[in-house]
Amino acid sequence: MGKIVLIWRLAARDLRHRPAQAALLLLAVTAATAVLALGLALHGVTSQPYQQTRAATRGPDVVAQLGGPFQGPHGPGQPGSASQVPTEVRTLVHSSGVTGHSGPYPVASALLRVRGMTVAVEAEGRDQAPASVDQPKLTAGSWVRPGGVVIERTFAGALGVGVGDRVTLNGRLFTVAGIAVTAASPPFPNLCYQPGGGCVFDLPAKLSHDPIGLAWVIRADARTLAAAAAAPVSYFLNLRLSHPAAARAFVSHVSGVADLTAWQDIAAADGLLVLDEQQVLSPGALLAALLAVASVAVLAGGRMAENTRRIGLLKAAGATPGLVTVVLLAENVVLALAAAAIGLVVGRLAAPSITNPGVGLVGAPGAPALTLSIAGEVVAVAVATALAGTVVPAIRAARTSTVSALADGARRPRRGAVLISVSRRLPVPLLLGLRLVARRPGRALLSAASIAVTATAIVAILAFHTTVNLRIARVAHGLGDPVFTRDEQIMQVLTVVLVALAVLNVVVTAWATVQDTRHTSALARALGASPPQIGAAISAAQLIPALPGALLGIPLGIGLFAVASRGGIVTIPPAWWLAAAVLGILAAVDLLASVPARIGARRPPGEILQAENA
Amino acid sequence: MNENADARVLRARGLRKAYGKGEGLVRAVDGVSMDVGRGETVAVMGPSGCGKSTLLHLLGGLDRPTGGDVWLAGQDLGRLGERNLSRLRRDAIGFVFQAFHLMDELTAVENVELPALLAGRSPRAARRRAVELLERVGLADRAGFLPAALSGGQRQRVAIARALVSDPLVVLADEPTGNLDSEATVEVLRLFESLHVAGHTLVIVTHDSRIAATADRLIGMRDGAFVDETRLTGGTTGNLGALAGLEG
Amino acid sequence: MQQEVVLALLAKEPSHGYELRARLRQALGPLGEAMNDGQIYVILGRLEKAGLVVAEQAAGLPDRPDRKVYALTASGQERVAGWLTEVSWPKPDLAEFHLKLVAAAAAGLADPLAIVDAQRRELLRRLRDAQRAAMAEPDRSAAGLLLEGIVLRLQADLRWLEACERNWTPRRDRS
Repeated sequence: MGKIVLIWRLAARDLRHRPAQAALLLLAVTAATAVLALGLALHGVTSQPYQQTRAATRGPDVVAQLGGPFQGPHGPGQPGSASQVPTEVRTLVHSSGVTGHSGPYPVASALLRVRGMTVAVEAEGRDQAPASVDQPKLTAGSWVRPGGVVIERTFAGALGVGVGDRVTLNGRLFTVAGIAVTAASPPFPNLCYQPGGGCVFDLPAKLSHDPIGLAWVIRADARTLAAAAAAPVSYFLNLRLSHPAAARAFVSHVSGVADLTAWQDIAAADGLLVLDEQQVLSPGALLAALLAVASVAVLAGGRMAENTRRIGLLKAAGATPGLVTVVLLAENVVLALAAAAIGLVVGRLAAPSITNPGVGLVGAPGAPALTLSIAGEVVAVAVATALAGTVVPAIRAARTSTVSALADGARRPRRGAVLISVSRRLPVPLLLGLRLVARRPGRALLSAASIAVTATAIVAILAFHTTVNLRIARVAHGLGDPVFTRDEQIMQVLTVVLVALAVLNVVVTAWATVQDTRHTSALARALGASPPQIGAAISAAQLIPALPGALLGIPLGIGLFAVASRGGIVTIPPAWWLAAAVLGILAAVDLLASVPARIGARRPPGEILQAENA
Repeated sequence: MNENADARVLRARGLRKAYGKGEGLVRAVDGVSMDVGRGETVAVMGPSGCGKSTLLHLLGGLDRPTGGDVWLAGQDLGRLGERNLSRLRRDAIGFVFQAFHLMDELTAVENVELPALLAGRSPRAARRRAVELLERVGLADRAGFLPAALSGGQRQRVAIARALVSDPLVVLADEPTGNLDSEATVEVLRLFESLHVAGHTLVIVTHDSRIAATADRLIGMRDGAFVDETRLTGGTTGNLGALAGLEG
Repeated sequence: MQQEVVLALLAKEPSHGYELRARLRQALGPLGEAMNDGQIYVILGRLEKAGLVVAEQAAGLPDRPDRKVYALTASGQERVAGWLTEVSWPKPDLAEFHLKLVAAAAAGLADPLAIVDAQRRELLRRLRDAQRAAMAEPDRSAAGLLLEGIVLRLQADLRWLEACERNWTPRRDRS
């Protein structure tokens, strides 16, 4: 018991002694945990809003598409004729397990034109009376009427239309009567999602790869539109099952009759909207965690060096190496716990704006995002981050013999004979900078690694923008892709967080270098180096490991984007973007490193050297 | 400048350095004036805490005074910016510290050549000069040793070699034998004596009377101010034999 | 010069007076310069009278002290043996200086500090000379060792004088 009190007291005193460093550590781990909390919260979001929509719209358990060319689970089928439809309908409606249905509703493929944009839509013909299964819920305006079209909410958002606007479908003028959501189809632009892939409709070739929107019209209008397009009419049939959970089994059992989709697959397609965000946030959280670990490692390493003498005293007073390690770890673990708590709070506050699951679905997830298990995972990661950064310096400090700890007060620098002799021929800033790097190769490596992580993030984001630009260029005429718009927003937030962490990292490393080289710098100044030369040397010491790190980030960043987009298109950003990114990173490193260097150069060298004598 | 000034390498007038304020005000150096001529060896002696190290730092431009002036070879240190001050330190002052302050990861010769490299001399010329100086201090055979492999006296001799590499106008030594045992002290003693004979200008701060005895002039310091001055050259008085117990 | 020193020098082998003198000079180095040439013969004479030493005239030479060969007697050897084991150490003479300061202060004749400072200056000069002489000697010479001893004694005395200075300085307020 006494030992715990002792550990607590030593740890608390050490934290109070160095508040700035404790704050920096806290900041780094908090940023990482906040991103992680968001990423995990997103995991739980996907299916729930769909459930709300399903409940609000009396969503179907199985949706059947009849009459058009379809892909069943056993391969492409025959184009059906209108005469076959009633048979198929009867078969389906009377299948075992089916307790209710609505439809069949005729569906026409049409071209919607508004404000110079042309988009393909499925126009589903409906009755004015509400259906028993799948009655789309209005979020604005009123239901279908002759000459009035109701547009799916996400689609309307992408088009930028509201109630009362005028659109043309296949050349006929319609008024937007209302905006609605449904659980029978995934929201725009995933409408063409099928478990087996492929899209149902026969479209003009130039639009066949573009997203298709969903709209509802009165039955008669649907038939008219189909006639105008001279394309075969297909039908939607919505089924309710006695056991909704068995929808997928039903689909595979009754395959061959029509093209069937179970509600779970529609839900999964919904989740694509949110899933893309997750594809962004998960690697983002990983990168943030890596940067946080790097920051912690540098901070912990720096504090270990200062503490080595204190450790020597502790050990001389009888503390075992184990106790010493525990004290050092305890401090950082406490900070990590605090950071986890703050990160969770930040994540909870930020979650609603991120996890708005796309406008196609009713409701927002709200509070349930942060379950106990999520909180537990976040705390575990935070503690792991702190431990990962601290464990190596702590063990090294604990193993240092007491005598050498008291005598030296710091880790003996390494001698890099090759670098020293190479540096002799270089101008003064590089001479000193290279020797500074040679003294602490471990820290240089850490520096390079954290710059590599930052560069990876930035290159991945550049790759994203390049790919998105190309893809949007292919989407019809100015129509935004809500998935990518949302992704973009998340990317921006993530970029800010990652860049902030990277800045923190560089400043922390530069500051640690300045502290570590206080004596060397003072001595160099006493021997005749001027303060600008010293400042340039410290900058050089940061830039030398930063360059390979930044260059390494290019292939890693592109690779990360390729992995995150799960085999989707990856476009390599143009060379000058990459060059600008690398140079920008190096310039930022130089700028950030010069600030602590300049502050450190203010003290007269005599003071520093005399303090060393004491 | 008149002729007298040329002979005076180092001049100080009314030097003051104070730390803290109010109740905690410490006057480390309190109105010190001195002249050092070319080729002179001046020793400043006093008890610990009397401010002699601070004085030396002020003379060497390693610290800025709170009052008074220092002239080195006619240049007023107070008027120089940091850059010019470093240049002056580089070219005209050699500093020897109590704690040696050698770089642990550099060998003896690499330590000695460092000021020359910082001054922009070619690596070859710097290395040549460093080897020459290590021979001068009698450590030519230890050129490739790291400081950890050298004794205290040897380390200080390396430091002295380093202080001489740019052929300075004045060598400032701050308690050069403070961290050395008596045998190492004698090593350093011999070296200072030979520097004196060779015509270097030395200002040594010490509380060791043996080192002080190598000087031409000995200044006593107490509580930040000079209290007396003794001229040590000029004839022996007394019979050494009598000191040993031999009756005449 | 103690008589026992000469006795001990004879313990190696019987010697002429001038040989003894030469050996002394070598052991003392520059300090031996000050030694009086005749002094050794005076001491030898006293030792002969005390029966610790016996002198032999070299055959066929006139009766002069510098031609004699001196040798230890049995009692002389005993004396040497005893002297070698003695551990008495030469007395320091601090009391005289100390009382000088006390008396000067009591009688108001002179400022004790001035006395201490003058003495310090003198000792510093002597230290310088002794140090110079010591460094001029080759390494590990016997004379060099003696000079080193002088230097160290002077250093110790100087330290004591610094203590005297501190002690006799009137207390003044630190501003």
